[in-house]
Amino acid sequence: MIDRKVLTLGSLLLTLLAMAVPATAIEVVALPSANSPLVAVRLQFNAGSIYDPPGKEGLASLTSMMIGQAGTQKRSYTDLIEALYPMAAEIDTNTDREVALIAGLIHRDKLAEYTALLKEALLTPGFSQADFERNKEQLVATLTNTLRSNDEMLGLETLQDEIFQGHPYGHSPAGTVAGLKSITLEDVKTFYRDHYTQGSLMLGVAGGYPADYVASLQKDLAALPQGSKARMEVPPAPKVQGRNFTLVDKQTGSVGIHFGYPLPITRADADYYPLMVVNSFLGEHRTFHGRLMNQLRGKRGLNYGDYSYVEYWNVPPFTSLPSPNVPRREQYFSVWIRPVVPVDAQFALRAGLYEVQRLRDKGLTQAELDLTRDFLINYSKLWAQSLGDRLGFYMDSKFYGMPYYIDEIESRLKKLTVADVNAAAKKYLSTENYSAVFVTANAQQLKDTLQKDEPSPKTYNAQPEADVLEADKTIQAIKVQPTRIDIVPVAEIFEK
Amino acid sequence: MSARISLLLCGLLAMSVTAVAGAAEKGASGDVFPFKVYKQTLDNGLKMVVIPYDSPGTVAYYTVVRTGSRDEVEKGHSGFAHFFEHMMFRGTEKYSQDAYNDLLKRMGADSNANTSDDRTAYYIVGPVSSLATMMDMESDRFQNLKYKEDAFRTESLAVLGEYNKGVSNPVQPMFEKMRDLAFTKHTYKHTTIGFVEDVKAMPGYYDYSIQFLNRFYRPENATLLVVGDVKPEQIFEMAKKYYGGWKKGYQAPKVEPEPPQTELKKAHIDWPNPVRPQLMIGYHAPAFSTTSVDSATLDLIGQLLFSESAPLYQELVVDKQWVDFIGGGPDFSRDPSLFTILTRVKSEDLVPKVQETIDRYVKQLADQPVDQQRLDRIKAHLRYSFALGLDTPGNVAAQVAESIAATGDVDAINQRFAQYQTVTPADVQRVTRATFVPQNETIVTLSHKAEAPAAKGSQGGANHD
Repeated sequence: MIDRKVLTLGSLLLTLLAMAVPATAIEVVALPSANSPLVAVRLQFNAGSIYDPPGKEGLASLTSMMIGQAGTQKRSYTDLIEALYPMAAEIDTNTDREVALIAGLIHRDKLAEYTALLKEALLTPGFSQADFERNKEQLVATLTNTLRSNDEMLGLETLQDEIFQGHPYGHSPAGTVAGLKSITLEDVKTFYRDHYTQGSLMLGVAGGYPADYVASLQKDLAALPQGSKARMEVPPAPKVQGRNFTLVDKQTGSVGIHFGYPLPITRADADYYPLMVVNSFLGEHRTFHGRLMNQLRGKRGLNYGDYSYVEYWNVPPFTSLPSPNVPRREQYFSVWIRPVVPVDAQFALRAGLYEVQRLRDKGLTQAELDLTRDFLINYSKLWAQSLGDRLGFYMDSKFYGMPYYIDEIESRLKKLTVADVNAAAKKYLSTENYSAVFVTANAQQLKDTLQKDEPSPKTYNAQPEADVLEADKTIQAIKVQPTRIDIVPVAEIFEK
Repeated sequence: MSARISLLLCGLLAMSVTAVAGAAEKGASGDVFPFKVYKQTLDNGLKMVVIPYDSPGTVAYYTVVRTGSRDEVEKGHSGFAHFFEHMMFRGTEKYSQDAYNDLLKRMGADSNANTSDDRTAYYIVGPVSSLATMMDMESDRFQNLKYKEDAFRTESLAVLGEYNKGVSNPVQPMFEKMRDLAFTKHTYKHTTIGFVEDVKAMPGYYDYSIQFLNRFYRPENATLLVVGDVKPEQIFEMAKKYYGGWKKGYQAPKVEPEPPQTELKKAHIDWPNPVRPQLMIGYHAPAFSTTSVDSATLDLIGQLLFSESAPLYQELVVDKQWVDFIGGGPDFSRDPSLFTILTRVKSEDLVPKVQETIDRYVKQLADQPVDQQRLDRIKAHLRYSFALGLDTPGNVAAQVAESIAATGDVDAINQRFAQYQTVTPADVQRVTRATFVPQNETIVTLSHKAEAPAAKGSQGGANHD
């Protein structure tokens, strides 16, 4: 699936840099920047939630927290925090489906001191019972309180659980309540031993570090077990047949909507780039020029925002640019319709489907392609402005086995024709087969409405433009024909 | 979610974000803000701040209007500063809304706006090669905004949607209740997005929105802030051309001062969905100041009590594990506001015990001088923390925008860090005694009650998108 024909400056640089350090089992990405007073260190292990044993969902996350948010063999967590505090340093951890990331950003004055603590935490974790109980409890609270109390994040997580049902991607990296409860401290130790190895590690360093820093760190990290470089085999995502709806029932004043389906491609594939253009035109995250935003919010005042995605988007919804270090071999297409008033829920779904179908049928014009391409080529350069983000995107590129992503966007997009882009829209956009999640009160009522599938005329508080009213005639009458509609009480989400 | 509350949740101070200078021009040695700052003011009063920064090809272009929800003095119009921020994207005769968006798209910019208590900030981060276009389109909309009533009414629904999207999070109704209860006269009584009944009434206030523009969107009340790969002289010259014709006429609102609180205030919110009990405590606290050391001292008290290394944090989160998070600190505000504490407690029976624990540590700060070494560690933490966040032109501009909001000037950043150095253990005791007293305190609790009505709260900060 990987097209290696394009060798950009970025990939060349990546290769040269990787060659500049001694060969060990550990993969390295090094981006020296002598003038920078900062150093970013990122350790990415193939130790994400796909490696959770069945019935122990959450083990990968918990293990990474037992490294970053716990004591070491010679230092309590309190003492570790105390040592990091005056440097304003942290041992951050983030676990996604494929990888667990341990990361830090530090002023170079404090690099040696920080690195010693980082190594201590990673190589000699304390694994105390008290830290274990606390971190486990934190994850349970994340599921049952943080996620269930935020309708938008709840919808995003539930959609992924739906799309990847029965697949190793099919549970939140935070786990499930039942899974977390069954995890023992012994499980954490075993997971650490099996997955925190030289083979599964990609070490990334960027910024103003000394010349011998990377080699020295690499040498110290050789204390980790050898391990295997091979990632776990992941089957393709299950095929979605029909229109499968999940209504998460809770007390709430509005209705949040997400829908989507698996994609057979990632950014390592040639087809990803025309689809990236299609998606940006349809619904680039938190911009005002996407069709979804423009039509649903701008012209109709349906809600606060409407976007679409061809990759998992991990950052909190209030940030605008994508974050690296959440690489995934399986991706999905999705549309996010931010909460609407309940009476508009059915119309909002139809309006979202209408825009997807419209793009599939009509495609982009040459002018629309040119504008969207210009946008993406410049915009993507902003994604890698900071040291940490730049490093992260280089690490992602290594994960996917491709040239530097940000360069790849420019070189691939420049060559695209209208025919390429519109072929991608035809091939990958669908309103026939998808999963949809609604976070709503009165779920039974919404279920009845969706099942009846009757026209849903929209009323306005102002006079909309003529083309809006014209399109509404089609939108309100779209036959959605749900295949299945399940109601799940919020208290059951993330339980098992 | 309000920027303040999100920082609070992370246990950070409002100011303790940041990073560093690469090969950029350096400011005075010893200053925490490491960049050289160039300032000029146009004849019409528009302030201009330019900070050259080593970001080849990239510039952050900010316009900071010193009007936020603080300026909403007329009853029934809470939330209007934020609503007006939305309207600023609805076009002019020269650049319609679609034309404006196309220009931004063509340059590949990251662009948006956000409103807080004290200011509204508009930004474009994009290629420096598009600087003239940025200045043309931005200066045009600040001088020539023109929208129809239909567009105004439609946009009001996007604001209502913004309100609706946040209200499922219990923190937001708690924060709204805290402000409403703690303030009686001052406009900090309402959050930035406003009282929900005012948000719902917005579509009917088209004429008022025109007044709002004429009163507040004036050059004397705005700062043009440019950070990146630029030459200051060039920016100043360009700005004369583009902004020189902007007419003066700012009418400062008469914001009523808040009288001293005289008794403990309490409120409870029943929450319809299962959730752990939450506790928010607010104490009236002084405005941001670079002359009095008290607000700087409160920043340090925030760290002494609620940083991860604080004994209180360690006892509640790490040892006893009664709460899964706790954070607290003062607002970074133009007028006296609140020192706010927020925590989520494992079970209902522990709420009073958590309160007692917080009170015990506060009392300890009031009764015993804090160890000087501990204070020094906090000062080091704040300095490094600030330095770590200055890593992109956009982040630098965002920091400077807060300084401008609170004081009208960028110098407040270095002055604040110089103040930290002067804070003594005696200051900590004095300010703790003055601030953390029951007659100055407001407590809002929230817990699950099955038959409670669905959430009807609001939120603190607000964004255009």
